[in-house]
Amino acid sequence: MKEIVVIIGGGIAGLEAATQLLKLGYSPIIIEKNDRLGGHVARWNRLFPDMTPAKDIVDDLIASSKDANIFLNTEISFVNRLKDSYNVMLSNGISINSRFILYTTGFRLFEAQKKEEYGYGVYNQVLTNADLENWFNTDKDKRISGKDIRKIGFVHCVGSRDEKARNSQCSKVCCITAIKQAIEMKEKFPESEVFCFYMDLRLFGKKFEDFYTKAQRDHGIHFIRGRVSEVSENINGQVIVKAEDTLAGKPLKVTLDLLVLMSGMVCNPDSTKAASMLHLPIDSDGFLQSSDNVFHITSSPRKGIYYAGACTGPKTVPETLAEARSAVLDIHSEITAGKK
Amino acid sequence: MREIYLSGYSNFIIPFMIGMIFVLSWCAIGAVRIILQLPADDRKKFFLSLINPRIMLKNIRDWFCDCLFHVKLWKRNKLLGYMHSSIAFGWFMIIVIGHIEVFLYTPERMHQVWYPIFFRYFVAVTENTMKGSFFFFLMDFFLLVILSGIVLAIVKRIRSRFFGMRRTTRASITDLIGLYSLWSIFPLRLLAEGFTADISGGSFLTKSLNTVLHSFLSDQMNMLPTWWAYSIALCIFMCILPFSRYMHIPAEILLIPLRNAGIKVRHARKGIAKLQVYSCPGCGVCIDACPMSAVKANIKDTTVYLNRQIKRYNERRIEEISDKCLLCGKCTAVCPVGVEGDKMRIAQRSLRKYNLAPSYANIDENILISRCNKFVNTSNTNVTSSKNQKVIYFSGCMTALTPAISKATTSLLQKSGISYEIMDKDGGICCGRPMMTAGRIEQAEEMIAKNTAIIKASGADTLLLSCPICYKIFKERYDLEGIEILHHTEFFDRLINEGRLSVNKEDKKYAYHDPCELGRGCGIYDQPRNIVNMAGKLVEGEKNRKESICCGGSLGSLTLSFEKRKALTENALNNLRIASPDTIVTACPLCRSTFNRYSDIPVKDIAEILDEATMKRKR
Repeated sequence: MKEIVVIIGGGIAGLEAATQLLKLGYSPIIIEKNDRLGGHVARWNRLFPDMTPAKDIVDDLIASSKDANIFLNTEISFVNRLKDSYNVMLSNGISINSRFILYTTGFRLFEAQKKEEYGYGVYNQVLTNADLENWFNTDKDKRISGKDIRKIGFVHCVGSRDEKARNSQCSKVCCITAIKQAIEMKEKFPESEVFCFYMDLRLFGKKFEDFYTKAQRDHGIHFIRGRVSEVSENINGQVIVKAEDTLAGKPLKVTLDLLVLMSGMVCNPDSTKAASMLHLPIDSDGFLQSSDNVFHITSSPRKGIYYAGACTGPKTVPETLAEARSAVLDIHSEITAGKK
Repeated sequence: MREIYLSGYSNFIIPFMIGMIFVLSWCAIGAVRIILQLPADDRKKFFLSLINPRIMLKNIRDWFCDCLFHVKLWKRNKLLGYMHSSIAFGWFMIIVIGHIEVFLYTPERMHQVWYPIFFRYFVAVTENTMKGSFFFFLMDFFLLVILSGIVLAIVKRIRSRFFGMRRTTRASITDLIGLYSLWSIFPLRLLAEGFTADISGGSFLTKSLNTVLHSFLSDQMNMLPTWWAYSIALCIFMCILPFSRYMHIPAEILLIPLRNAGIKVRHARKGIAKLQVYSCPGCGVCIDACPMSAVKANIKDTTVYLNRQIKRYNERRIEEISDKCLLCGKCTAVCPVGVEGDKMRIAQRSLRKYNLAPSYANIDENILISRCNKFVNTSNTNVTSSKNQKVIYFSGCMTALTPAISKATTSLLQKSGISYEIMDKDGGICCGRPMMTAGRIEQAEEMIAKNTAIIKASGADTLLLSCPICYKIFKERYDLEGIEILHHTEFFDRLINEGRLSVNKEDKKYAYHDPCELGRGCGIYDQPRNIVNMAGKLVEGEKNRKESICCGGSLGSLTLSFEKRKALTENALNNLRIASPDTIVTACPLCRSTFNRYSDIPVKDIAEILDEATMKRKR
């Protein structure tokens, strides 16, 4: 009989892991709480730094993992630990016995309205990075479509690296996403002026720095080092942003037609819930705790339980995919070692 | 009554006299020192208050209610109230009746101060004692009352939970000596009077004791040692009193007239502040009240421990405790003797010397004045308000960071057709309260002067605030004659009552959180509740009004990190969630944003829910 592997979460990590498990001849079961696969990436339009359409990646992953057992709109009711396996009870009444569970539960976007000073949900012209990607995909957003947009601002680190917002971790991808979105907006509204308000730019990945240079040189995007202190609205519905330009050492006030908040990645409460069923440890940042952060980032302290992707902390798409493969290899090694 | 000893003296009164003289001179010197430490104008105020019959009457009432009957404790906890008032009032009555007895039967002995205390030893009962049996009964009755209090005190010592106290202070060694000597005084007195009950007379308690234990008590050999023991117990108690928490007994007697004279804490360690420290009975009511006690490690930072450290001159801990406090004022609100923990801490902070003293004197307020002079330039005919009310709205920095509140407030002002001007829409000057709570009073005064100039130049007649932190300093420290200062809860409540806002009740349950600065700080409890009741269904948290728990976001604390505040916020939220509301409503931008970060149910300002529930103005 084929070895069953339960994958919790049908985002890109779960799909990639299922693909690889199928290739190795195992039988993966994906449990997804939503009615569709692809997670956060499926809602995105294009991915940095090569502007790869997100849809292509998600479609490829769905196609390659189609032979897996997939339960949509399904949650885990409870998990029991048996002698050397786990019994997973699903909300649709199905019970699965498996020696392996792979957590690919991902992250949740920080709720931008919790940073009240930025006025998300209060001022009409304030939106988040996710809203903007949705507009790129659908072209439907009353705040942007058909409007004369002349000035756009991007606020980095919204709910990331912010103790007051309960998240001290860096979300890794927002710096480069802001640059990507700024370039895209500049392409859509060539006459507009675009400002990025940042603490410091963390452009660690391949070609990220080139992307940043391109944004300044070719697109004339203004990068302002300093956090936004306060946002207000004028009578025309435009937003007035007060910030400090810490390089110039001066306070700054700009009136914008659109303000985009780069909501960061925070731990997913569903992930915490699923972890608590097996008493898996939670790290101080709220994400799942790997057995160590250098050598065994995909292993949990419990036998047969593995992690992949953003459930252990903010990750980029390539990192997530690499972790999914790595976790599958760990599972494969454990199965083959047992057979000897 | 017939005297047995001609001298009216026995050696066993010596310990009592030593203790008496010691404690009286100590207290007299202390009282003189404290009065001398008061600033000259306060001292004058105090002396004038002593000849003011209204204040004097209040003093007498407070002496009886607070020192003897412990009314505040009764209201809070019946058992604790009985325990304290039985000992205090019982003892007071025994002393008073003792003096009456001496005055009636042996008036020539009135100058011998020990005589009323040891009266039964020196006298024998005669035929006319029937007259005295009334007093004998009273004496025994009050002794019984005290003894019942002491039994309760012993029970409390063993199990404080029995009294509904979760946590209580750890007694110091002097406190323990004081405690045990106090407990032993009255049983010893009972025993000593039991010996003499067949000679000097007695009532149901002493007489019965004498009868029951006749073989023991009739042995005159045992009598003198018992009276000695009684006198020594009194001596130990009085000698340890200045160094133990029992110092609160004499200190409170002076604190009451000082407080009624309206004297405020000005110096952290002198005058009334010193007196408050010594008035602290160490009961520990503030420990359970303190919002920081949600984390056990913070218990030693409560007011009762601040007082203890001040008595010990432990400067490092005094600074630590003073800086850590959230200044929510709950310890002051619940303190049975009136120690003002928050004010003492601010005063302590103001003692600190800073190397840098920023000056705000060079801020140009004229630009700000020119931005909000709408009421000066326009003629009154343009003003739409029926009452010609001219409102200047100071949103303050916290509201600028919670734009939902300022948006709702201005929307409500428009709906009610009131002519308004926003004082700090394009930046303004801080109200001064953060500097004040940090103890930097000079800097705060500079800001107060500038804001006063702007408000007075605006021509407005009402100053509207949505932040209770600002509101408190505007109320207390600003001199804005002719301009009414209102928090938006007061203002909107008034508008609703005047029919200028029509509210549609929504089918929602709102739990109202009393912000520290608005409730305990300014005494506003009812107006916000009226508004919430108009907009939906009001439910209360487990602790509410005066007992409301600080959200944990307070500006008051100088050292408490965000990490450490988390538990305090969660504790306060749990308190509000008890009636499972749909939304938590508050009236302070800082409470709103603090709760919002941790709450799983929506948190809104009262202006927001009112704005949602209010229709457009009917024209």
